[in-house]
Amino acid sequence: MRGPPPRHPDDHREQLPAVEGVIEDAATLAPGDRVVYPNQGVCAVVGVEEKDIAGQKLELVRMRREEDGAAVLVPKNKVPSIGLRRVATGGQIEGVFHYLAAQFDDPELDWKVRHRDNADRLIAGGVLGVAEVVKGLHSLSRIRPLPTKEREQYDNARHLLVHEVAVSLGVAPALAEDYIDYALMPPAGVKFDLKPPPTPVLLPSRPKRRRPAAGEGEEGMEDLGLADLGLGDLDLGAALEGVEAPAEEGEAEGAEGEAKAEGAEAAPEAAAEGEGEGDEEEEAPRKKAAAKAKPAKAPKSAAKAEKPAAKKAAPAKKAAPAKRAEKPAPAAKKPAAKPAAKRGGKKK
Amino acid sequence: MIRIVTLDPIDPSDMAFLTATLYRAFGLGTEHAGERPMPREAERKDGRVDAVKVLAEVAPVRTFADDKVLYITASPLALPDGPLGEPPCWGFSQYGGERAVISTSRLPARGVSEASIENFRRRLAREAIHAVGHLWDLHHCYDPKCAMHPSWSPGLPANPEMDLDTFCREKSERRIRLAKT
Repeated sequence: MRGPPPRHPDDHREQLPAVEGVIEDAATLAPGDRVVYPNQGVCAVVGVEEKDIAGQKLELVRMRREEDGAAVLVPKNKVPSIGLRRVATGGQIEGVFHYLAAQFDDPELDWKVRHRDNADRLIAGGVLGVAEVVKGLHSLSRIRPLPTKEREQYDNARHLLVHEVAVSLGVAPALAEDYIDYALMPPAGVKFDLKPPPTPVLLPSRPKRRRPAAGEGEEGMEDLGLADLGLGDLDLGAALEGVEAPAEEGEAEGAEGEAKAEGAEAAPEAAAEGEGEGDEEEEAPRKKAAAKAKPAKAPKSAAKAEKPAAKKAAPAKKAAPAKRAEKPAPAAKKPAAKPAAKRGGKKK
Repeated sequence: MIRIVTLDPIDPSDMAFLTATLYRAFGLGTEHAGERPMPREAERKDGRVDAVKVLAEVAPVRTFADDKVLYITASPLALPDGPLGEPPCWGFSQYGGERAVISTSRLPARGVSEASIENFRRRLAREAIHAVGHLWDLHHCYDPKCAMHPSWSPGLPANPEMDLDTFCREKSERRIRLAKT
């Protein structure tokens, strides 16, 4: 059986045992065959025809939905992947009835999981999957009324099941529905001699939430989809520095002159090197980072800010190291606190 | 249009109540279209009548596109055996089709008191709405208060409602709107 399409392009499809009756090769279809198209119902194969679509010659299997005569065309090479299957056999139908009449354990209460699983079952679960949806939602309806979407899903699943059972048993749909509900809601005092129900349909496991690996943690933090918004050039690290050290702005501005003159390319490398390096080495990238934060203001404010910077220097020097010690900030943020303190120290 | 055909005699006041109720439930004109004999082919050895054969063999009445015909009989109905046995039968419909049949044999006795007559009429109307609902593509409903809930369900109250629930009513209205006529 091919499961539903993967939720993420990187996730590989889980290979599960095929549901009984799934058509693996379109060549086995012959005109007059009755097949079940998932979520559509029972169709009769009309034949194979060739069509020219967008310059491509496609071989299409033409089917006619029995319920209303609607035409369904499926490319021949897509037949194995859409879950087309033969109408349920007598053995399968018997299993369905024994499943419907069995006691049902507690239904799934998380509506998101339930809705998703039910949609998967309708597509890839075969006739038993459809019966599971009907039974599951019916059991839930005894606890509380179904919300609109699930009420519709319940009605659709019931419709599919009724028609497949009717075709398989060769009876009228209303009679098939009576049989189904006789099993699902037996009259008071009626007990069936049930066989063990068939194994429930296996659903492909869902991809788990993707957690960034240890190495890509920083990258994950910074990847906010800015490139998609056309803001790929925005230096978020530098912008955060400006936000983090508002009190030291004066000092930062005061030291802009030399920082601006140096190249900006060394900054990320220095950030990656960590704290083990000497102060001399760290100083240059920090200045560059500060320069990035205020590229336009720097030249003007350099002279103006000298006096206030000198006044603020003493408290800044005390505060900054303490902050560093208690909060080992990520590498991108480190330059924000340090340069101000050092620069203040130099001026002093 | 809903046409009611009787296979056995029925009280005119009950018929009047039934036509009025069906009109309210589906918004379609309802009339008594006469009587027809029970087809012999449908009779079974156990004294019951095969519901599927009744609809196949009964004499037709004059209808137009999208007309629904409801047959009412006093004989007990039977259905063919299913995988888990024979389900009890209050009525049978051609799903999305034209004909349905219901039986009064399983309904509470009509009696002579006002209460019993009222009770009988309400149950008859419920079964009629249920059968005509199938003709308009409605499936069974899990809500015991809805007329489309299976009649044999243990959850059905002693005096069940004779109305459709919101989902079934809206679905039937949609079907009726989309009908050819």
